[in-house]
Amino acid sequence: MIVIRDLVKKFGQSEILKGISLEVKRGEVHSIIGPSGGGKSTFLRCINGLESFQAGQVQVGEHLLSASAPDPSLLRAVRRRVGFVFQQFNLFPHLTVLQNLIEAPVMVSRLSREEATARAVKLLTRVGLANRQDAYPRHLSGGQQQRVAIARALVMEPDAILFDEPTSALDPVMAGEVLSLVADLAKEGQTMIVVTHSMGFARNVANCVHVFADGKDVESGPPAKVFGDPQHATTKSFLTQIGKD
Amino acid sequence: MLPVCASADVLAGVRKSGVLRWGGDQEGGGPYVYPQEKNPAQVTGFEVDLANRLGEYLKVRAEFTQGQWDKMPDMLRTGKVDVIINGYELTPERAEIMDATIPYYVYALQLLGRKDDSRINSWADLKTAKAKIGVLTGSSAENYARNFCGGECQVISYDGNTDTMREVETGKLDATLEDTPIASFYASRFTKLRRIEEPVARGYYVIYVKKGETALLQALNEGIVLMVRNGDLERIYRKYGIWDARQPELAGIVESARFYGYLRASTARIEKNEMPQQQAVDVETRKRGWQVVKEYSGILLQSAGMTVALSVLSFPLAILLGLLIALGRLYGPAWIRPPLGAYVEFLRGTPLMLQLYFIFFFLPEVGLRIPAFWTGIFGLAVNYSAYESEIYRAGLQAIPHGQMEAALALGMSRALALRRIIVPQAVRIVIPPVVNDFIALFKDTSVCSVVTIVELTKRFSVLSMSTQATIELMGMTALLYLMMSFPMSIVSRRIETRLGSESPA
Repeated sequence: MIVIRDLVKKFGQSEILKGISLEVKRGEVHSIIGPSGGGKSTFLRCINGLESFQAGQVQVGEHLLSASAPDPSLLRAVRRRVGFVFQQFNLFPHLTVLQNLIEAPVMVSRLSREEATARAVKLLTRVGLANRQDAYPRHLSGGQQQRVAIARALVMEPDAILFDEPTSALDPVMAGEVLSLVADLAKEGQTMIVVTHSMGFARNVANCVHVFADGKDVESGPPAKVFGDPQHATTKSFLTQIGKD
Repeated sequence: MLPVCASADVLAGVRKSGVLRWGGDQEGGGPYVYPQEKNPAQVTGFEVDLANRLGEYLKVRAEFTQGQWDKMPDMLRTGKVDVIINGYELTPERAEIMDATIPYYVYALQLLGRKDDSRINSWADLKTAKAKIGVLTGSSAENYARNFCGGECQVISYDGNTDTMREVETGKLDATLEDTPIASFYASRFTKLRRIEEPVARGYYVIYVKKGETALLQALNEGIVLMVRNGDLERIYRKYGIWDARQPELAGIVESARFYGYLRASTARIEKNEMPQQQAVDVETRKRGWQVVKEYSGILLQSAGMTVALSVLSFPLAILLGLLIALGRLYGPAWIRPPLGAYVEFLRGTPLMLQLYFIFFFLPEVGLRIPAFWTGIFGLAVNYSAYESEIYRAGLQAIPHGQMEAALALGMSRALALRRIIVPQAVRIVIPPVVNDFIALFKDTSVCSVVTIVELTKRFSVLSMSTQATIELMGMTALLYLMMSFPMSIVSRRIETRLGSESPA
């Protein structure tokens, strides 16, 4: 489904990603953890072309992104297949909840307004916000906004969804709401890559956990193995650090 | 020897179209060209009568063309008028760039002081009293006064002919130096003024034509000769009360001087014109108060219509241009950004007046002729597009980067994201500064008078020069501007409130 090979990303002289390879099969949930500044978010943003990269390649289905400046229509094709959920939600403030959801299906996928609305209402029911469809984002709590953002990604019926620390901007109660929603999606077989600080989520939901540090995927494997028997020194110190918090 | 043929024969063009376009500035006031009392949209004045008679002689219709007085040579050069008839003195500098007819009036400079001011009774007293003397900018009077004073008295330049006379009455100035026609014509309006010494520095008003237009020059000279000989000129000048002891010199010039058209003109058969004596023009005392409001509100309102037309046609264009520039500078390809930046800096950094002047008087040189009205629209739109683009740039940059990313991540193209997500949010931010800009543009339309457009402010100046009812006219003009701009503020506030209730922006 998604295959990344030897991805290298530089900002000027500093190398943020130092050759990362990773494969996600349909229906899998991969979780990326690790200390701040390890390149987790940058990696995620490279996958849907929000960041360019200097070497390696990203394959999404039949689409192949390479280090050379990609064609805009190729980028759009990739982004239609891969949804993205931001840490800061990034809902469109001038549109209502429902309008946020149907904007892309109508304008990008050329769905009829009725069809898009039907789809959106179903998803809003799914995330428990059917009664807020005419509200503007500023009238929702952070947790509600993130659930709308997830519904906005889902309404495009993507093959995979990338979550960039979806709960970092939320208090623990709201973070819980959002994480249980993401866990439900995982159970339904939605392919996902989730960058997270929530070890509970990584341990209980993911099929595979990656520990990123200093631009490298230092250790990866099933959560039981990574959490139960960490091999790499960085993983050990990171888990100890997290455990103290 | 006369040149055989001129490069472009204006006379042939005049005969063909049947119209002689003559340039003047009604802001100069009486008795030259000024608004009619009964119908202020029409002009009257001794130069109007003169031009009409010349038109009859050439068997064409004389058509007055409004323009700024000091810009007349440009209007002549770019073919916007065929001749200048507007109290233009014969000077070596002007004769360099234009061709002059024989004189149609002999003027001199009259010094005027206040009746109750006993200090100044002669030219010499100006220096002893260290007097302040008001003159018209760019006139012969200004030249003369500056030469005379040489630091011992103070010369202050004004843009209006009769402004200086009022300033002497109110005591802000001690004296003013006026061309004799003005001093005579307005004597009854400025009853507190008195003449000091005999007029000085005699000079000639002439008609100017484009350099090398000898055929037109000859025809005009013949016309002037005829009008001198058959008494038409004397009749016209007596009508305006400006026939004086200097005018018989005109006949001497006609009979003795050599000029283009001399041979034919001097052999022309002259019949004493038997037209009935025209009634003298009544220069009544100054109008005041409600009478001014009653008589001039119509014409001011009509000119306000021009102001509105200029604003509402140019501003949407400025908005569109400005938006394209802002989008180009923020999201366009790298090569387009420096030229757009230069465009904004250039247009913001140079006066609107110069830009209009360039479009109107320079572009015709390279074959691009834009009528005055559209010059105004286009000039305002281009000038304001620079300001608008900066407002939009600020508005667009105020939208968090995450908005664009979220739109892109949903598969939108950059253009679609701008149109659907970024611009609608930016619009809410920029409404107040844009409305502010519109009100500024609205008032800046007054600059369009440099390209001969008569809008509200120009009309105010014209009427105020000829009637001296400045206070009343100023009040009406200000009120009209306010009546037009205030509703815009209200509408903008409504829009803001409405959009504000929909989003936090």
